[in-house]
Amino acid sequence: MRPDTPADWDRPSPGRPVLAERRPQESPKRAERAMPAFHDMLSRLATLERAPVFFSVQEATLRALARRLRRIKVAAGEMILFQGEPGDTIFFIERGRCRLVVEKPPTVVTVALLADGDFFGEAACLLNRPQQASVYAQTDCYLLALDRQSLHGAMASRERDALEELRKLADQRQRSFTDTTVQATWGMLLKEATVVGVYSPKGGSGGTSISLNLVGSLSRRYPGEVLLLDLDFPYSHSALLAGLIPTSCLARMSAVPQESFEEVLLSGVLYHAGGPMILPGALRPEEADEVTPELITRAIAVLRKSFRYIVVDLGVTITDSTLALFDLTQHILVVTTPEMSAVKSAADAIDILIQLGTPPDRLAVVLNNRSLKPPVTKAAVERSLKRPVDLEVGFDGTRPEQAALEGVILALTNSRSELAKGAEALALLLESKHGRGKEAGPSSVEVAEPV
Amino acid sequence: MRIATPARVVRDAQTGVRRSALRRDLHAVVSGKSGAVALDLDNTHLDVASVIEEFTFRKSMQSAPVQRLVVALKKNGAADGVVERLAAKSPQQRVQSARIVGALRMYEAVPWVAQLLDSRDRSVSDAAARALGRIGGTGSARALIKAISRKGLNRRLVAELARAAPDLLVESALAEPQPQSVRPALAIAAGLRRRRAAVGPLIALLENGSRRERVISCRALGWIGARNAVPIIAAALQDRDWKIRMSAVKALGALRARTVKDDLRYLQIDRNARVRKAANMALARLNRGNAHGA
Repeated sequence: MRPDTPADWDRPSPGRPVLAERRPQESPKRAERAMPAFHDMLSRLATLERAPVFFSVQEATLRALARRLRRIKVAAGEMILFQGEPGDTIFFIERGRCRLVVEKPPTVVTVALLADGDFFGEAACLLNRPQQASVYAQTDCYLLALDRQSLHGAMASRERDALEELRKLADQRQRSFTDTTVQATWGMLLKEATVVGVYSPKGGSGGTSISLNLVGSLSRRYPGEVLLLDLDFPYSHSALLAGLIPTSCLARMSAVPQESFEEVLLSGVLYHAGGPMILPGALRPEEADEVTPELITRAIAVLRKSFRYIVVDLGVTITDSTLALFDLTQHILVVTTPEMSAVKSAADAIDILIQLGTPPDRLAVVLNNRSLKPPVTKAAVERSLKRPVDLEVGFDGTRPEQAALEGVILALTNSRSELAKGAEALALLLESKHGRGKEAGPSSVEVAEPV
Repeated sequence: MRIATPARVVRDAQTGVRRSALRRDLHAVVSGKSGAVALDLDNTHLDVASVIEEFTFRKSMQSAPVQRLVVALKKNGAADGVVERLAAKSPQQRVQSARIVGALRMYEAVPWVAQLLDSRDRSVSDAAARALGRIGGTGSARALIKAISRKGLNRRLVAELARAAPDLLVESALAEPQPQSVRPALAIAAGLRRRRAAVGPLIALLENGSRRERVISCRALGWIGARNAVPIIAAALQDRDWKIRMSAVKALGALRARTVKDDLRYLQIDRNARVRKAANMALARLNRGNAHGA
């Protein structure tokens, strides 16, 4: 017996794409797939747009995804996902707060506290792996669920790159959670971390590249124990330069209550496969205002217990936050280029730092040669600064730009690069002043010749 | 019994040869050596669906073999032909098309397959349900739930719903207002899926549901292995309804709940024979567990 189908279904129509044109008009599915209301669609799109991985997705695809989302309400305290179970859905938090918990008997570790705009379940959905963590609703949560079939239906044909990016992110987050769990179960290091500030008074001096490579060099000695805190506002790009996709940042932790601050802070740290760890300060320019001196002090107090070195990329401007950080650092690296304006700015910055009470032996000047034939000689720079240059980084051609495009850290991939050599020399300098003697890392680490 | 007439033997041999040729073609596509394959969908003896199923068995929709097959069949228009035949007059053709759609995980064909769930031909509706179970996703699960609400509790539909439903769909549907026949089906599906997230809604159903819902939710909690639900299930041992008592006994046996051993012993002298039998079996199960533990 035939089902109730439109009468023209049996008529042959060669060449007509069935899937595109012959959808039954009164299909019950049609009613279900009706477009969500306008305001509902806007809310869905807003939630999707907040997910970092959908930044580059075309608007048409984003709308297709938004239409396919399923809204779920979960009461506070209820379990959403259970560790070890299979999964096929990515959940976006529209409103509310969720806790990701990894159970590693005998301990239970909260690896992340997720809030509005965050998402979870992506590793199980995209990589076919069991859920890595259990997820509980901490408050009443409104979730938007996107199942595997819908995701592929909307993205597989048009957005293969974005889908690949999503897979990469899922893999990265999974590794990050693993590392946080290990670190949390490990206990705290006996001694507190050395905080190193990298300050470049003029934009384009290569402060971020030097910070990133310094972290790379240090993490070759101490993998997983060196953190880069990116406070180069308003545009913090260290994570992207290292090929990582940031999903959380320090700014978003300003409203987190004291009792869960440590867990949330550690869950925001990104783990690079080569050993360095990165905590972005802000993901969006407007979030920079959320990073207050109090927040920085709280964060550094927590991070110092968990890492051996914290390198802070301070950017250009001197704000209250920068000043607060100068107080917390054990060593400050002033990065300048051999140009008149940069040298003048560096001289002014050094004056300010001395006035703030920074001991001269805790201050180092790094001269970064950004061109083959520098317009100002090293001797002239030293005369202007009224102090010797502690380290000179040779001209590295287009390698730093190339590395940024490829998302690699030269200190980890190309030890012959001038930038890597400079970072290695800086690491040796820091080790000589703040190292922990016999505690220092494995002797097998190859140390490049200092510049 | 089939009589092997000479004509039938020749036809079977021809079909066998064609099937081998099709298998070779599909293998070439799946292994990436070829990008084209021709399907003879009109030949019901060839059973194209089972040959395709061989290549896509237990493979996800993202896997390379499934993707390659789908691309090859879409390129030559065979995918459109398969969807066209979902509305064919012959039930065999509809069954075959539904099986192919399911084997290829063609999510875009869900609305057409869903219509076949209403077919009065049991083989067609079962094939459609199986196809939706294989395809999975929200669309398939919702189509199955609608079919359950129309047709009542049906074993095949519930099993396929458990298979098709994405995370938290069944669990959230349990907490929403549903037609009378749907909630028990959802509870069974939740139990079959064995997901911990369903424990909360099932406990709520056990506490507040109808008699039938309470019976099913007890069993489902036992299947999931929800040890935190033991006190609530144990409370159901005192229920006036023998079916609820029996279901609770079975669930506690499945959960190896040694803490309620005394309560189970008490049910060995229950006024209902089936409850007594279930209690004996549950206690035997617990004792076996003890012996293994020792």
